[in-house]
Amino acid sequence: MSVRDDILGRLRRQLGRTDSTTLAARERVEATLALRQTGPRAAADALLDRFIERARAMISSVDRCATEAEVPAHCADWLRGHGLPTTVVVVPALAALDWAGAGLEARVGAATGDDLVGVTGCFRAIAETGTLMLCSGPQSPAVNSLLPETHIAVVPRQHIVADMEAAWAEARRELSAWPRAVNFVSGPSRTADIEQTIVLGAHGPYRVHLLIVG
Amino acid sequence: MVAPGSRGEVALFVTCLVDLMRPSIAFSALKLIEAAGYVAVVPEAQTCCGQPGYNSGDTAAARALARKFIAEFERFPYIVAPSGSCAGTVRTHYPDLFANEPEWRARAEALAAKTFELTQFLVDVAGVTEVPGDFSGSVTYHDSCSGLRELGVKQQPRTLLDRMPGVKRIEMRECEECCGFGGLFSVKYPDISGAIVQRKCDAIRGSGAYAVALGDLGCMMNIEGRLRRNGDELTQVIHIAELLAGDVGGQG
Amino acid sequence: MHFVSRVRQRLDDPELQRNLKRTRGRNAASRAAAVAAFPDFDAVRARATEIRASVLRDLDVWLERFEQKAIERGATVLWARDGDHACDLIIDIARRHGVRTVVKSKSMVSEEAGLNAALEAAGIRPVETDLGEYILQINDNEPPSHIIMPVIHKSKEQVSELFARVHGTAPKTDIEELTHEARAVLRPEFLGADMGLSGGNFLVAETGSVAIVTNEGNGRLCTTLPRVHVALTGIEKVIPTLEDLATLLRILPRSATGQAITNYVSMLTGPKQAGDADGPEHMYFVLVDGGRADLLGSEFEAMLRCIRCGACMNHCPVYQTIGGHSYGWVYPGPMGSVLTPLYQGLDKAMDLPHAATLCNQCGVVCPVSIPLPELMRTLREKQVERGLRPWSERIATKLWAWVAARPTLYALGTRVAVRYLRWLADGRDRIQVMGVAPGWTAQRDFPAPAAKTFRELYAERRRGGGQ
Repeated sequence: MSVRDDILGRLRRQLGRTDSTTLAARERVEATLALRQTGPRAAADALLDRFIERARAMISSVDRCATEAEVPAHCADWLRGHGLPTTVVVVPALAALDWAGAGLEARVGAATGDDLVGVTGCFRAIAETGTLMLCSGPQSPAVNSLLPETHIAVVPRQHIVADMEAAWAEARRELSAWPRAVNFVSGPSRTADIEQTIVLGAHGPYRVHLLIVG
Repeated sequence: MVAPGSRGEVALFVTCLVDLMRPSIAFSALKLIEAAGYVAVVPEAQTCCGQPGYNSGDTAAARALARKFIAEFERFPYIVAPSGSCAGTVRTHYPDLFANEPEWRARAEALAAKTFELTQFLVDVAGVTEVPGDFSGSVTYHDSCSGLRELGVKQQPRTLLDRMPGVKRIEMRECEECCGFGGLFSVKYPDISGAIVQRKCDAIRGSGAYAVALGDLGCMMNIEGRLRRNGDELTQVIHIAELLAGDVGGQG
Repeated sequence: MHFVSRVRQRLDDPELQRNLKRTRGRNAASRAAAVAAFPDFDAVRARATEIRASVLRDLDVWLERFEQKAIERGATVLWARDGDHACDLIIDIARRHGVRTVVKSKSMVSEEAGLNAALEAAGIRPVETDLGEYILQINDNEPPSHIIMPVIHKSKEQVSELFARVHGTAPKTDIEELTHEARAVLRPEFLGADMGLSGGNFLVAETGSVAIVTNEGNGRLCTTLPRVHVALTGIEKVIPTLEDLATLLRILPRSATGQAITNYVSMLTGPKQAGDADGPEHMYFVLVDGGRADLLGSEFEAMLRCIRCGACMNHCPVYQTIGGHSYGWVYPGPMGSVLTPLYQGLDKAMDLPHAATLCNQCGVVCPVSIPLPELMRTLREKQVERGLRPWSERIATKLWAWVAARPTLYALGTRVAVRYLRWLADGRDRIQVMGVAPGWTAQRDFPAPAAKTFRELYAERRRGGGQ
C-alpha cells in the first residue's frame, strides 16, 4: 500500500467512514466549494480614503495623479526627490508609457538582482488592509516587486476594492488562467526577529510607493 | 432593604480550603448572603468539590465527589461558594464529567446553572447595592483565573468595592495575569510558580495599594506567602468576602 | 535532560531571564490593541473555528480534493508517513534535480522532521533565510524557542557577537545594521540556490495552492527564484476556499503579532507557466502525517485546528517564565505541551501537561478556540489511565478522594491537620518549612491556619444558640 493510501485510509478509519458517509462527505465538500461562504467582512464604503490610510499605516508612501500618462513623470519626480536612482525596470504591462520622456532609463521585463527600482501595476488593491494584489504572468513577473530595493506600484483608482473576498471574486471573473503566484503586498519588507524591533528591508524592498491613478 | 430571610435559601459551599485554613471567610460569606435577604444554609456533609482529583487526571475520584456534591446541594435554589475556582468546577466541569451518563449529566447541568461565585451571586442574582461593611484604605483587586475566565467574574467585585465609601480602588498592572498558584502546580513546579507569583507581587507592590483583595483562598495563600517570604509584612491580602462583610481592619 | 532540570537552568540564566523580560507581554499587548481596533474579532474567530473544524470533519475528502487540484496545476503531491520519511522524499527530489543548495523559509514541520541535519548528511546544503532561523542555524543549529519569533530568547548583543564571529565583520550593536548584514549575506544565496523549501500556512483545496504568510519576503524569494519549490507541511493545513483564506488571514496575523496583515501573503499554485518570466520549473508538496491522523476523531482533534500563530505562548505565564527551550521539543508553550506528548509519546513528556496553571489565558486568545487547558487536563487523565503517574501520587489522590467521600472521617482529618499545622507554625502566623509540601515552602511561606476548622466553629456557633 502506498503511504498516501495508508494515510488516507487511517484518516477514514479515524472518521469511521462507510460508503454512505464518504458519499455524504463528498457532497458536503462540493457544496462548500460551490457556496464559497464568506465570514464577517470589511466595510465597503470610502474605499479610496481607507486604502490610503491603511497603506500608510503599513509604511507604504502614497501619491496620486490624474491619468496614466502622468505616471512616468510622477515616478521620476518621486525618485529624484528621494535621491533614488532613475534607472528602472518596468513590467511589460506598463511598457507603453513614455518612460524615456520623463527622463527615466527604463528596461521592460523581469527584474534581476541588479535592478534597484521596480515599477509594477497591480491586479487589485485592497482597502481593508492597504494591500496590493499582484498576479504573476508574462505581463507582470513576480520578481519586479521583490528584488529591487524600491518598488513603485501603479494603482488605478477603480482597482481599489473593499477586501480580499472582493479581490478573489474579481480574479475568478477576469483571469482566464489562474496565476502561478498571487502576491499580496502591504508595504516594505520587514522583520522584528531581533529584540522585536522593526527593521525595514529584511529581504525585499526597503520602500514601497503607491501611485494612485484617477 | 429586603426583609431578612425573605428571599429563600442559599446553600453555602464553604470549600475545603476555607474550612481548613480560614473559617472566617465562610462566616463573612454567610453574613453577606444573609444581608442580601436570604437564609444561608450550610449542608453539613459537604467536603470537597473534587477539583484536585479532576485536575490531577483522576476522573474517577472527581466523579465520585461530584456525585456526592450534586446529591447534597441540588435541593437548594442557589449554591454559592467564596471561590471562583470551586464554583467554576461545578459550573463548567461537572457536566463534562458525566458525558456518558445522561441522568447524572442532567442533574449536573441543573446544579451548574444555579451555582455561583459569591460576588457574582451578590451582584448578578441578588442585585445588592449595599454591602454590610466598610474598609478604609486603597485596595487593588486580583482577578483569579477560574473566576475571570470560567465564570466571567470581573466587574462584580469591583462594583461592590465601589459601594464602600472608605475604599479607594486602584488597578494593578496585568491584574488578569495568573498568580502562579494552579493548585498542585505550586508544589510540583515550585520554581516556575515562584517566578510567576513574584511578578504578581511586584505588580501589587507597584500599584501602591494598602491591600490586595481577591476571591480565591488558594491564590491568596500563594500571594500572601510570597509577600511575607519577601519580607513584606505590610501589604494586606484579604479575601473579598471578609472585606465586603467589614470583618477586617483597614488602614489606620 | 529532565524538564525540571532544564527549567532550573533557564531560571538561573540571567541573560535569558533579561531577554524574556524585555519582550514579556509585548506580543500580548500588540494583540490586545489589534483586537480592540477590530470590532468583528469575535465573529471572525467563531467563523475561523468553524472553517477549521469543518475541514477536519471531512479531512480525507478535502485532502483528495486538494491533491487533485494541485496535480491539475502541474504540482507533484507526495505523502510522508513521518518526519524521517519527509526528509527522504525531499532528499530524493533534490538528487533528481541536481540540487546542491536549498534556501529555506520558515517551516515548523521541517523542525519536526530535523530536515537540516538530514540534508547535510546527504551532502546538500540547507540555508535558513528567515532572519531568526538564520541566526539559529549559524549558531550551531540551535533550535528555535518560539514558533514565529525563533530568537526571542536572544539579545542584540548576542546576535552581534555571533555575526562578527561567523561573518568575520566588525561587531555591530544597531539592530538595523545587523538585519542588513544578514540581508547582504543571504541575497546571493537566494539568487544561487537550486531549490527553495517553504512551509505552508494553508493549503487551499479550491485552487490546489499553498498560502504562505511572511513579513521578511524570504518566503517569496524561496518560492520564486530557485528551479524547484518544495512546500513541506502537515496534512491538517487544508482549507476549502479563497474566502476561507480571507477569513483566516484576518485572524492569524492579529493573533500572532497584532498586525492587520503580514507584509506578504503569497498564494502559490503549480510551477512556472508558459510565458512566465519567473517561478520554479518544478513544484512539489510534501504532506506529512507525523501523528496527525491519529488525532482525528479523538478527544484531541481540536488540536488539529491550530494555525501556528503563537498567541498561546505569548499569553502563557509559564512560557514567559521558562522560555521555549525548556519544553524540550519543537513546539513550546501550551500548544507544545499538548502536541509534544501526542506526537512524541505520552511517556516522553510527562511533565508538560502538568507544568501549567490551567489559567486558560491560552484558551481565551486562541484564534481557533482550541480548549488548550482542557486538552492538557485530558492528557493528565491519560497518564493516570495508563498508570504512568508515580505510585505515591496515585495513592495520595485515592486516599484523599476516599476520605473526602466520608464526611465524618474527613472532619476528623481536617481537625487533626489544623492542629498539626498550628504545631508546625509554633505560635507564629506562618510556616516556613513544611515537610509534606516542601515545594510550597521552597518559594513562599505557608500562612498558618486558624485554630479550628470552619466545621468546628460553625457547630459551636449553632450549639451556642444559632446566632
